[in-house]
Amino acid sequence: MRVNEVLVPGGVEGWWIPTYLAEEHPELTTLEGIMENPDLVGGTFNNCPDGWGCRVVNDNLIRAIDLESSGLDVFNHGSGETLATSMASAYENEEPWFGYYWGPTVPLGQYDMTKVEIGEVDPEVHARNQNPDSDNPGVSDFPAAPILTSVTADLADREPQVVEFLGKMEWETDTMSSLLAWMEENNANAEETAVYFLRNYQDTWSGWLNDAARENLSALLQQG
Amino acid sequence: MATYDFVFDALGLRGWCGEASTDTDAPMSMDELLAQSGGGGGGAAPAVSLWELPFPSMDALNDACAAFPQSRELTQGLERGFLNAKDAMSFVLDPLTQPLSWALESALYGILTTPWWIVIPILMAITWFVSRSWGLLAFVTLSIAGLAFIDHYDYAMQTLAIIFVCAFICVLIGVPIGIAMSRSDSFQNGAIPVLDMLQTLPPFVYLIPLIFLFSVTEPKLYGIAIILYAIVPVIRLTNLGIRMVDPHVMEAAEAFGMTRRQKLYGVQIPLALPNIMAGVNQTIMMSLAMVVIASLVSAPGLGVLVLRGIRNLELGVGLVAGLGIVILAVILDRVTKASLARINAQQKS
Repeated sequence: MRVNEVLVPGGVEGWWIPTYLAEEHPELTTLEGIMENPDLVGGTFNNCPDGWGCRVVNDNLIRAIDLESSGLDVFNHGSGETLATSMASAYENEEPWFGYYWGPTVPLGQYDMTKVEIGEVDPEVHARNQNPDSDNPGVSDFPAAPILTSVTADLADREPQVVEFLGKMEWETDTMSSLLAWMEENNANAEETAVYFLRNYQDTWSGWLNDAARENLSALLQQG
Repeated sequence: MATYDFVFDALGLRGWCGEASTDTDAPMSMDELLAQSGGGGGGAAPAVSLWELPFPSMDALNDACAAFPQSRELTQGLERGFLNAKDAMSFVLDPLTQPLSWALESALYGILTTPWWIVIPILMAITWFVSRSWGLLAFVTLSIAGLAFIDHYDYAMQTLAIIFVCAFICVLIGVPIGIAMSRSDSFQNGAIPVLDMLQTLPPFVYLIPLIFLFSVTEPKLYGIAIILYAIVPVIRLTNLGIRMVDPHVMEAAEAFGMTRRQKLYGVQIPLALPNIMAGVNQTIMMSLAMVVIASLVSAPGLGVLVLRGIRNLELGVGLVAGLGIVILAVILDRVTKASLARINAQQKS
């Protein structure tokens, strides 16, 4: 039983450049700008590892826009770890970087990245791009993937209050990413992150609860 | 309160411990939050029986004393230390290992841009040159042709190129190290623990610092990983081979008044050659074993297909690529064994 979409706007995917690069060269936030200045983004597009869904889409997009004609090399990473590390080390040295990533994830929470505009989101073209060896790949940005809260019908019968709460629970993808980044920075576990969230994001969670529960929880936190 | 309070109280360190921090940014567990607000099971924690006594670990001591570091700070400290040393290390190691990147890049470029009707005859010629066996030549030709027939030629050649470069560098570095070990007992004693460590360390573990040290888009990343893993047998067997040379032969060489250099090149290395060749064979086999793991750090070749097979549960792709690696392994093993047999036969006659 679907209750709610928990993340707003949902899982984001796309092609990114570091924000410091976007501020220095605003033309790089569009694909045309990047293809005209391949050197400014380091001359490399960091692609997904083989076997990932995004690899198929990226390969089709690369064919559709003929990315390599602009002088950009496509580097196919061997695993998600090297993809993340390439982004992290480029960011830490303030070097140019251009590649695929997705959120909510630790790196997107930790590093300030700007999404490159590929074009309009066209669900039909995107569906075509998800097909390997597609005959006519098109240009379409990545649509946001819905991330749902689902419960069994049984739970809805037994605990209507809990389900009502879950129905209200939603937060932004950026919040999720920054929480993940906090967790990574402090080597914290999930429970400690939950406490951190309760103590620092009151605005977010206060809308989820009914009045009595909100007062209970605030009182608990006030004492602390 | 916590079990080990008495330790700090007895040592008079209570003042150093200080109060628990009230910083909202500091990590805090759910239990602590409940305990703080007094909602947790009525005040004082239940007394801990001897049976449940926690080991005085860093986390348990931290419970009693907030200033005592938690064990996660150990991993954090290690990470910070490594990141601080990283710049200096990559400053030295980066130029030093750059030729490896060039070698791998040019080998991959060379083997893929040369047409197949040149590469396959060259491989056949090498096989013939080292083995002089018609049967083996036919087997190698058929295997490579079979791989090419199922459109795995490019992947197989990439893998082969990587292995050739890495195994060559292993021999280039490993044989001199082995010779040095055979000549000095103290160097041998120092080197053996390092070799043991290289062999037993899970290959993934030394990928981690490598990823931090070098740019992940450089081919030397997987080159170093393969070499570190595969260099061990050639060092060990070179050392062993030279040490196993019959002492009577060495005595005779000495009686002829040979210098150390003459003894090494004229007596020890020729007599140890079967062992050294066995080491080369093992080194090639071990570098092949690293192919799939190296693909995790972006090595091209058959390993990529195996990984794709695993990730997407494409059983066929994975099986065919795995079989391709087996075929390459059999070819390389047979060819090096055949040359080993030839050397043995020559020495007997």
